[in-house]
Amino acid sequence: MSVLLQFDFWQWIQGIPQWIEGILYWIWGIVKWIIYAIWDFILWLWATIFNADNFFFLFRAVLFPGLIWVVLALIWAVWGTRKLWGRIQDRRGPFHQGKYGGLQLFADAIKLIAKETIIPDKAKRWMFRFLPGLLLVVVLLPFAFIPWDTVSAVNGGWAIADLSVSLVLVFAFLTAVPVVALLAGWVSGSKYTLIGGFRAANNQFAAEIPMIISTIGCAFLASSLSVFDISMAQTNVWFAVLLPINLATFLIAAIASVGIFPFDAPVADSEIIFGWRTEYTGIYFTLTYFAEFAEQMLYSALIVALFLGGPNGLPFLPGPVNFTIKFIVVFFFFVLVSSSFQRLRQDQIVKYCWKYLLPLSILNVIIIMLAIVYMPGLMLPLLGVG
Amino acid sequence: MSPDILDEAMEIWFGPQHVSAHGWATKLTLVGDYVVECDPNAGYFHRSAEKVLEFKNFRQGALVLERMCMLEAFLAEYPYVAAVEKIAEIEVPERAKIMRTIMMEMSRLHSIQFWWGQFNAELGFFTMALWPWVDREYSLDAFEELTGSRHTVSYSTPGGVKYDFTEKFMKQLHRAIDRFEDRLPKFRDMQMGSPTFRARTKDIGLYHYKQGLKWGLSGPPIKACGVPMDLRKDDPDPNLAYDMVDFEIPITENPEYPGSSDALDRMEQRFKEAEVAVDIIKQLLPQLPESGPIIDPKARAKANRLPEGEAYARVEGTRGVTSLWLKTLDKAQTAYRAKIRGPCIASYYALKDLVPGSKFADFIVIFGSLDPYPGWWDR
Repeated sequence: MSVLLQFDFWQWIQGIPQWIEGILYWIWGIVKWIIYAIWDFILWLWATIFNADNFFFLFRAVLFPGLIWVVLALIWAVWGTRKLWGRIQDRRGPFHQGKYGGLQLFADAIKLIAKETIIPDKAKRWMFRFLPGLLLVVVLLPFAFIPWDTVSAVNGGWAIADLSVSLVLVFAFLTAVPVVALLAGWVSGSKYTLIGGFRAANNQFAAEIPMIISTIGCAFLASSLSVFDISMAQTNVWFAVLLPINLATFLIAAIASVGIFPFDAPVADSEIIFGWRTEYTGIYFTLTYFAEFAEQMLYSALIVALFLGGPNGLPFLPGPVNFTIKFIVVFFFFVLVSSSFQRLRQDQIVKYCWKYLLPLSILNVIIIMLAIVYMPGLMLPLLGVG
Repeated sequence: MSPDILDEAMEIWFGPQHVSAHGWATKLTLVGDYVVECDPNAGYFHRSAEKVLEFKNFRQGALVLERMCMLEAFLAEYPYVAAVEKIAEIEVPERAKIMRTIMMEMSRLHSIQFWWGQFNAELGFFTMALWPWVDREYSLDAFEELTGSRHTVSYSTPGGVKYDFTEKFMKQLHRAIDRFEDRLPKFRDMQMGSPTFRARTKDIGLYHYKQGLKWGLSGPPIKACGVPMDLRKDDPDPNLAYDMVDFEIPITENPEYPGSSDALDRMEQRFKEAEVAVDIIKQLLPQLPESGPIIDPKARAKANRLPEGEAYARVEGTRGVTSLWLKTLDKAQTAYRAKIRGPCIASYYALKDLVPGSKFADFIVIFGSLDPYPGWWDR
């Protein structure tokens, strides 16, 4: 017996259409799965975004008063700063683009983005590209905890998020800023940027302790570490009335921490060219430049929230409007101070911050504690406790 | 200084691409934040002006000189003109003498205003930098009306001056002076009363006048030590009108260190210099004859070909003594050799001894307070 191949050619021919049909069904299965997956994703997205709670959260986080609003405010804050500086310095400031030069910053941003990006040979390329973006993100994130409205985020107010320790978290983010500056100065591979990076670290080193101690008084009085709770504790009286010295020390320490005039040793142009930003060009320079103004805005917003009653104010105005009015006034002070003094040396910055600001900020906390202990009848009703 | 310290030293080039180093480069050796060595380097601004003078005739030469330092153009061009006048024995009319002196003092005022703004910009206070620069525009408008140019004025020429004062110019001159006098008390208060300014400049760049004279300093850096050394009094030029006015040499005394000056004193000294300049202008303006020649008519012919001879001329510039030595051969159309001695070469190389031991951030304060202009050391 030989092995007989059981192979019927005609039967095989007849099987081919079935085989093709099977393949087609298989492909159709895949396509159907993808279509269902996409449809499910759309349904999920629909449910996520247009579910009332989620929609308002996203709206707050992305549009108002979140990212887009902050960035637009940032752009016009730069414009306002330049305009004010122009007025103070006996010149006109930007006036070519748009009404009163209002579109100047958009033109500047487009120009800077279109410019060639030069990365020095000695720079660590990856870090050099990464750090400016990180800096802007670090500075923009704490805006999530700014209490824009009298109604808390959970109850549908205009604030983005609320956290029981948001004050600590905000300072944690802000402490990272000079670290990024120091790293940026380091990886740029230039001596001037290295000196600038260390000067930035020195500024923060000098200013941070008085700044954080200045906020301790607010946290005590509100008995909370949440920025929202602190601003809500000021319905009867603003903490600027009870802690006036702390307001001043916080403002000065904030200016020192941002590193603008007169504490601009980290970017002193006549001494170390542009400090840790010397080697940055084009889009990277734009990011670092915006980060500085975002930090100024953040400190202005913090001052409003901690000392000037946050969204509390004129009762017939909505919370965000109250907040923004005070915010603009405080930002104006930043511009005013930063155009009125000569630059201080780094050792003088440390001396002023530690020798004068630190004792003053502690003094105010002690005074208010003694006042609460010995004059409870006067103080407690002001705080809404008694 | 032990060698161990220098192991950790960092050499850093301040210039020539540095934003506040416009045309100079200084090598600094830093240990930590302190400068241990300072090595000023000349040569980054060199335009071979002395060689160019050998190819220019005696009326063109002044134009080269005023480009050495455009901020004090009226003063800078004068030594060359005076040297040519000495060799050619040209007489200068009375009116031209007074006009020259007025414009030289205007130049001093404008130069000090520029320096004042620049010093504040170096200290990081741009508001106070722009305010004097706004006032300076008034002087520049007057210069433009008089000579057609804001900076390269080419006003003095052998035998007199080129352009006569016009009605409009006089109006602008008075406007510039009035503006300065109006704003000076406020500015002085803002500048000298500013706590941050005092913190940055007090006891910075301190030197004794004996050391300063050894370096060869002159002008405001040495007058700020309390030494009344001024060519306008000590050696009045016969072709200028300084003997017609009554003024005191401005000096500044340091109350803590007698005979020394720091950056704060040098700022104060510049204020006084500007005040005295305005005072001289105001005394000279009534003495200016209504009409008369502004140039010796034979001067042009005389300056075409000079006899053999050599002359040395000097003037008290804004930054110190500016001098020029000129040698000509017989029937010369151009100079055989011209040697320029600017005031700033001394103050620039004084940094070599003055800066070590100070902080890196103070380097630019010391540099700015001495007011060196690179054109004066790169000839």
